[in-house]
Amino acid sequence: MIRWWPLYGLKRKLTERKEYVSSVKLRLSTTAVFKRSLFVYVIDVGSSNALNFEISALEAPQYNIHRFGIYLTDSPRHADVLLILGHPVQAMMDPLKETISQLPRPFYTITIDDNPDFPDLGEYPALPNHIAAITGVPSPSEILGLLLDVAKIKRKRS
Amino acid sequence: MKVLIGIIATDEGERLFILNNGQPVLVKADGDNPERIYSNYSILKQHPSKINDEPMKGPGVFRFRYGPVTAGVREAGCFHLYTYGEKILRATIDISWKQREIGKAMQNMPPESALSMAERVCSNFAMSHSVAFSRAVEMSLNISPSLLTKNWRMLLIESERIYNHLYVIYKLASAAAQRVLAAHVSALFEDALRLNENITGSRYLMGINNIGKLNRTPAIANIQKIANGYGKLAEHFTELYKHSLTNYNYLDRLHSTGTLTPAQAGELGLTGPSLRACGVTDDMNDTTKHLISLPVITQKEGDALARMEVRAEEIVNSCQYLVNHLRASDSWYETEKKENEFTKADGKGYAVANSPSGALGYYVEVKDGKMQHVGIFTPSYPGMHAVSHMLEGLIFTDFPFVFDSFGVHFADAAC
Repeated sequence: MIRWWPLYGLKRKLTERKEYVSSVKLRLSTTAVFKRSLFVYVIDVGSSNALNFEISALEAPQYNIHRFGIYLTDSPRHADVLLILGHPVQAMMDPLKETISQLPRPFYTITIDDNPDFPDLGEYPALPNHIAAITGVPSPSEILGLLLDVAKIKRKRS
Repeated sequence: MKVLIGIIATDEGERLFILNNGQPVLVKADGDNPERIYSNYSILKQHPSKINDEPMKGPGVFRFRYGPVTAGVREAGCFHLYTYGEKILRATIDISWKQREIGKAMQNMPPESALSMAERVCSNFAMSHSVAFSRAVEMSLNISPSLLTKNWRMLLIESERIYNHLYVIYKLASAAAQRVLAAHVSALFEDALRLNENITGSRYLMGINNIGKLNRTPAIANIQKIANGYGKLAEHFTELYKHSLTNYNYLDRLHSTGTLTPAQAGELGLTGPSLRACGVTDDMNDTTKHLISLPVITQKEGDALARMEVRAEEIVNSCQYLVNHLRASDSWYETEKKENEFTKADGKGYAVANSPSGALGYYVEVKDGKMQHVGIFTPSYPGMHAVSHMLEGLIFTDFPFVFDSFGVHFADAAC
């Protein structure tokens, strides 16, 4: 017998109420234009995959990023922020430039480099509107804290 | 059962890296005509970065490029799909977009530094890479880790299996537009990552394992709490999984999609859940036989649903395994007496680990205390070949069910 999913979904409250704080200092002053909503496009340019998993974890109900007006978008043309995962391998340099060229203005770029010490990968390229650079694998809480800083969104939402 | 998982060029000639009843062995290739014995020999020998790369022509047939920048497959990889409309006639997979040549980069590094790189080949398989690499180095340098180290490695590989399988099921539920199921599985996925952090300090179990020892041993005081966490996770997941099996909209999307026969799986050299989902009992669990072996979960159908069912049942088994062993783990600490120091500086070794998606092997040569040659053999490479073949003849909406159900990753395949 088919069981009704919505009833299952209503049984547990999974969203957490906590303050999300990032230790990363923004490099540029931000505009308040993204205060109501922030659309983020994620591009992997050579990450070791933990960052892709952390972005999936960020979509978990515990964080419920939509309550803050933060959405992951499927196209760079709809994005306010380009979240760049990994240290770029040579093959991904052109796709990265092409993706940046597709972003509508104003936009910001954020980099998360999980392999800063890998030999043979070269220096990280200069990026336009590069508002924040993280090294290592930040937790979803830290990524959310940073996005809240970029959007200038008040932190506590029920 | 013998599976060829890699081919190694050594100073003494070509060697075949074989998994024989779950145990790794190296054999000489000369004179045996390996192509007749192992049908995946030519795939591994040629090791193309463009998989199934045979352009297709015909009335109205065109090539649809999907990747390397797309929201559907977030990793940097590319699919070339040949189609005349809705049906996928051929799928070429290009893994070169993520090639980082990590094996070469490890050369001339001390084993400990190379171990840190092994963990970052594919960080969601960090523990499996770390364990396979450290076992290979230990074999080469004649190091014997303590029981405590061996046991914790086993437990942490099961922790890795749990969150990876949850991730696969979350992706399948999302692709089938099962929002409630996807949200709840995603919550359990996050819970599993937090449990990893509680045990090791790393959500991806990185930095705890070392050559011959653990960098730190999980604190006994937290272990009962963590064991209870896995118990609850198994309980919630079982409830959710049973609920999902009554939902025909979900099951219909997975049923008979990407059906793999045991013969095809054998030809491609598959191991792990994809092989077990076609009814083949592999011997990967024998790698844990110094603890109680886990039961081997199999299904018969070989489709995306069978692969999901194998993973779901393995989640519950692994949780139970962790609960039982974590609760008894305080006795292991009494065995931890010796500090492993390197007494040898040269040698050759090979080893495997039972990763969430199958056998993961390393071959290493160490000279003067530095890595001279590292061969990495991952389950995602044959898995990508399987995805490529399974997509043929399917329609575009079946794409995520095939790709996600194999649990393969470009970072793992392209190392």
